[in-house]
Amino acid sequence: MNRSLVFRSASDRWSVKLNTRVLIVTLTLAGLLVISSVLALASGSHPTSFMDVLGTLAAPARSELALIILEIRLPRVIMAILVGGALGSAGLILQGLVRNPLASPDVIGITSGASAAAVLFLWLGGVTGTSLLLAPVAMGGAFTVALCITALAWQRGISPARLVLVGVGLAAALTAVTTLLLVLSPDSTAMNAYIWLTGSLYASQWHDVTALAPWLVVCWPLALIKLRHLDAQSMGEDMARGLGSALQGHRLLFLVLAVALAGSAVAYGGAVGFIGLIAPHMARRLVTSGHTGLLPIAALIGALILLYADWIGRVAFIPRDLPAGIFVAGIGAPFFVYLLYRLRRELA
Amino acid sequence: MLRYVGLFLIATCLAWAPTASTASSPTVVEHALGSTAIHGNPARVVSLYQGATDTAVALGIEPVGVVESWTEKPMYRYLRQDLQEVTYLGLETQPDLERIAWLSPDLIVGARNRHRTIYPLLERIAPTVIPGNVYDFKALLELMAKATGRVARGDELLAQWQARVDDFRARIRRKLGDQWPQEVAILSFRADHARIYYAGFARTVLDELGFAAPADHRKEGWGIKLTSQESIPAMDAEAVFIFMEDDPAVRRTYETWSSHPLWKNLQAVRQADVYHVDPVTWNMGAGIIAANRMLDELYQHYNLEQPDHQECPQC
Amino acid sequence: MLTSLLARTSGTLICLGLLLVAMVSSLAFGHIPVSLDMLVTSLLDYDSGSLEHLVIRTERFSRTVTAMIVGAGLAIAGVLMQTLTRNPLASPGILGINAGAMFFVVVGATLFSLTSPSELVWAAFTGAATAAFLVYFLGQEAGRGISPVRTVLAGVAVTALFVSFAQGLLILNQDRFESILFWLAGSVSGRELDAIAPLLPGFFLALLIALLLSRQLNLLGLDDEVIRGLGLRVGQVRLLIGLVVIVLAGTSVAMAGLIGFVGLIVPHMARGIFGTDHRWLLPLSAILGATLLLAADTVARLVIPPQEIPVGVMTALLGTPLFLHLARHVRKVS
Repeated sequence: MNRSLVFRSASDRWSVKLNTRVLIVTLTLAGLLVISSVLALASGSHPTSFMDVLGTLAAPARSELALIILEIRLPRVIMAILVGGALGSAGLILQGLVRNPLASPDVIGITSGASAAAVLFLWLGGVTGTSLLLAPVAMGGAFTVALCITALAWQRGISPARLVLVGVGLAAALTAVTTLLLVLSPDSTAMNAYIWLTGSLYASQWHDVTALAPWLVVCWPLALIKLRHLDAQSMGEDMARGLGSALQGHRLLFLVLAVALAGSAVAYGGAVGFIGLIAPHMARRLVTSGHTGLLPIAALIGALILLYADWIGRVAFIPRDLPAGIFVAGIGAPFFVYLLYRLRRELA
Repeated sequence: MLRYVGLFLIATCLAWAPTASTASSPTVVEHALGSTAIHGNPARVVSLYQGATDTAVALGIEPVGVVESWTEKPMYRYLRQDLQEVTYLGLETQPDLERIAWLSPDLIVGARNRHRTIYPLLERIAPTVIPGNVYDFKALLELMAKATGRVARGDELLAQWQARVDDFRARIRRKLGDQWPQEVAILSFRADHARIYYAGFARTVLDELGFAAPADHRKEGWGIKLTSQESIPAMDAEAVFIFMEDDPAVRRTYETWSSHPLWKNLQAVRQADVYHVDPVTWNMGAGIIAANRMLDELYQHYNLEQPDHQECPQC
Repeated sequence: MLTSLLARTSGTLICLGLLLVAMVSSLAFGHIPVSLDMLVTSLLDYDSGSLEHLVIRTERFSRTVTAMIVGAGLAIAGVLMQTLTRNPLASPGILGINAGAMFFVVVGATLFSLTSPSELVWAAFTGAATAAFLVYFLGQEAGRGISPVRTVLAGVAVTALFVSFAQGLLILNQDRFESILFWLAGSVSGRELDAIAPLLPGFFLALLIALLLSRQLNLLGLDDEVIRGLGLRVGQVRLLIGLVVIVLAGTSVAMAGLIGFVGLIVPHMARGIFGTDHRWLLPLSAILGATLLLAADTVARLVIPPQEIPVGVMTALLGTPLFLHLARHVRKVS
């Protein structure tokens, strides 16, 4: 039996029950994240020491070092955390929604929708238009595709299985469109697009952080509050209705949350795959809890994965800067194999 | 309005730039992404694309940092001896920002299609200018001449170029007579496809020299990629210039395509006006030196005599 | 659905007729205009001096043959996979077989500098086998054997795995990237017949085995116990079918790159017309698959001449509406 802490408000109007283990794991992961971030800030193609970093963070001066740490590395580290966290939470919500451990934003076509929109934008707006529009366009693509998928999968409600299948179909079509655009575009655009498709945080700047953060500020608390309804659903639809869950309404809400989180993450980080797939699983291995407790852990794990992947991409092949997506796949694949082995054992 | 923008930029630059500022008024340079104020004559220049590297060398500057070349790594042979002491910044697509910052440059030159996203960051590091069109090497030369305070040198190079162009046009008109202007196509072969270039550096130079292009090639866009040998007739012109990498797969593709009967049927092939040219100067260099070397090749191919022209040390 | 022998035979003849029309179109249409009588004379009274005859004999002929082989191979692989996994939505593309083959081919091309199809096909086979193995494992569900939806998800995950690795390799080798882009998008042009000839014996052998196993395939739709009771060695048959799928899909990928949806929609079309008897289903799927790919390739050539849309893109665009229609009507499976 898990120990828990219960906090009640003074007037007993609301209470929060915190699973002790969840709390401990969350704090540990958060601590790990902070330490890793500082270490990541200290690494880069230009050698900087730990003390340099701490000094600059404490007292920003006007120097090249400060520029490197505060304008080049820090936004990038923060973006890695935000994008990874968003993807991890989106994956958790989707896996709960679809009730399948292998669901992820890539499956539902969110990533492909954002990708197709982004590549189309890069192809058309090669010279005209500002690149600041790329992220909103990608978001628009993600939402449009999600909308299409929902509309196509809607038959007196959303069935998770149908959702997945429609998502797969649209994803394949969008990949075809993306490939077509890649083939027709000149070399510079094709390579830009391809790097974006792999997922890269190169040249993340403060305006990217300030554009992404509001989405997370809205979605994360909303998810935390509502995720208990997802637990109800995993017990079966009748049980969920019996417990007072507005089934279809909540399903729709979770879909929107997942799309918002994943869409915004992909819009700024490129089409990074896997995090939405494996972060929830890693979270489940660490704690047994309802979705509400799993959310911060899945988000933290997602953030850590992307942080490390981006770190490797920055420092392993200097002066080349490789997209983080490659290393996410490198971290994701071994875990994926492990996962498949574990799932099989549990199932057999 | 511009003056206030300029003043604001000066204040920002003074606050951020570690190099000493001179008392003279700054040069305000208009470029594709806005206008930048540069004070003094920048000595430390960073070039973020091939054309800027070429132009910097032509202006007599040794940049402190350049991006790698696409072939003949790390830098094209024709520029190598003037770039002995540079720091390489990685690929043009994703230059290493930390190295750029650490070099403390006075001026950064980038390309719009590649560096638009990182332009705000670059501006924080040093005044940055971005030319509008990567192919327009003359505009680039003027821009960089103004930004580095070497306007006289820039004008000299442009005048030299203009003289050579006029000379070439006169000579080729004499040589070809009625057949001038000649329709030429620009082709390239890759490992699994062939290309026709409708626009680009080579096309720009050829247009300036007076060459015409087949009506089919006067279309929007950079060009097309052909995967089927059946489309060989689309390449037809009175003369063709072909460049390609020295790679076995590419050579194999070229051999397959050029032994096809449709190829032998092309007008240029029948008239034996097929010229193999250097991919570096025709497609990658993208600067005034490359343009001059392109012109040298053209003189050679058409067997025209070149007058003695005053050498820029690298042309 | 046609059930009587007469109806099925007439249906077969109609399909063969469609195939013929598709072949003729593929030979007749293209950048260089060719009239029908020119087409006929090129086959009967070949004049090596005539440009049109040359084009037909070399370029278009090899395209047509490649498209037919790849179309038939993918369609049959699709039928086999759908029967094997009892999943109407299985196909080499969706279940990651194509992606696995693609990744290993990219590895071969970038790390080992292999270039000719006969070398690359071994890489494609290895990749297809690896992907098949992974998806088979993942698709299991406790006590029920292979679960349809789980298999699809497994396929998607495996596809993502291999595609991302391939992307990583291509970014690390940016010069190779360009030369592989067209192949990745799916292309049947420029395949010289002597280059692909070595692959054909294995391909046709696999095809033959599939046709010979038609009766066993008919039984695979039943429960495992019933099948064993009927005297069939389930495990062995499944293994053999799996190998056949790998050979067919691997060869197709090695020859033409990634072409999706053919293996998915052709079996459905064939099943809709001829029923689930594999003795009819397999040959007809092959015919319809060849027809579909020929049609897609021909259309792909005519949209933006002289450029071509990659045929893989064409089949995806054509196949998606049908797939979505199928997905909507899948019964709720947990």
